[in-house]
Amino acid sequence: MPDPPAPQPQPAVPRIGEQDEATLVAQARAGDRGAFGALVARYATVARRVARAVLGNPDDADDAAQDAMLLALVKLDQFDPRRPFGPWLLRIVANAATDRRRRRTVRRAEPLDPGLAAGGSRPDVQAERRLLNERLREALAELPARRRMAVVLFDVEGYSHAEIAEILGIPEGTVRSEVFHARRRLRALLADWR
Amino acid sequence: MKEPLPFDHRPDPLMGDALRQALEPGDAAAFVARVLARVEQVRAPSWDAVLARWARAGVAAAVLIAAAAGYLVGRAAGTPTGRPSLDDALLAPAPPGDVEIVLASVIGN
Repeated sequence: MPDPPAPQPQPAVPRIGEQDEATLVAQARAGDRGAFGALVARYATVARRVARAVLGNPDDADDAAQDAMLLALVKLDQFDPRRPFGPWLLRIVANAATDRRRRRTVRRAEPLDPGLAAGGSRPDVQAERRLLNERLREALAELPARRRMAVVLFDVEGYSHAEIAEILGIPEGTVRSEVFHARRRLRALLADWR
Repeated sequence: MKEPLPFDHRPDPLMGDALRQALEPGDAAAFVARVLARVEQVRAPSWDAVLARWARAGVAAAVLIAAAAGYLVGRAAGTPTGRPSLDDALLAPAPPGDVEIVLASVIGN
C-alpha cells in the first residue's frame, strides 16, 4: 500500500497571510514604523530562537536578533516583495548570529548546578525540565551552527526543507542531511528522558 | 517506540517541543520595544551627529572655495599687464608691430 501523502510541516505559530505580510512590508518600506513594528513583533520569537540556537547565550542572541531586525529595515528596499518575508528575514538573522559567533571571544559555559549535573535527585518536574533544557542546549552547542539552525527551523519553527535551504543558502539535500544528523545526536540525549 | 526514518520529512513534535522550551526566549514585548526604540535612535540622529555632518559639509565647501580662489588669483598673476615694449612690438611676427609704438620710439630718438 502506498504511503499516505506527507502532511505539510505546520509552523509553531500561525504565519501571517501572504497578502497581509506583503502589505506590511510595503508599508514598512514606505517608512511606516508601525508596520515595521508589526513585522518585528511577528518574527521576534523565531528570530530570537534561531539566534539562540547559534549563540547559546540569550543576551547575545537578542543582540544578534536586534542587529538583524535593524539591518532588515535598512535593506528593506532590496527585498523582493513577490517572495515570502520570513525566510528573507531569517537569512539575515542566521548571518547576524553566525557573524557574532565568529567575532565574540570564546566564553566558557557557566557550570551546571552540581546537583543537577551529577544527575542527582529530581525534586520536581520543573527541576527536571530545567535540566533537560540545559542538556539540550549543551548538546546543541556541540553541533555545527548550520546544523543547529536547520533542526530548529525544521522541528521547532515548521519551515520546509526548501525554505530552510533558502534561509541558509545551501542545497535542499544538505538541509535534510543536517536535520538528520542533528536529530540523531539530540535523540540520543532525549532517549534517557522518555 | 517506532524509530523515525533517518530523512524523515515531517517535523518531530517531541523534538520540536523539547527544543522550543530549551530555546524559549524571554519577554517578547520587551524585545520588540527595544528594537523599535533602537530604530527611533537610528532615525533621529543626535545634535552632535547633525553638527558633525554640517561641519563636514562646511569644510568641504571651504576647500572648494579656497581652491577656486587660488586658481583665479594664480591665473590673474600670470596674465601680462601694461603696454607692450618696443621689443615686443618689433618681434611680434604678425600682424606687424603697432605703428604708434614704432613712431613714438623714432620720435623719442
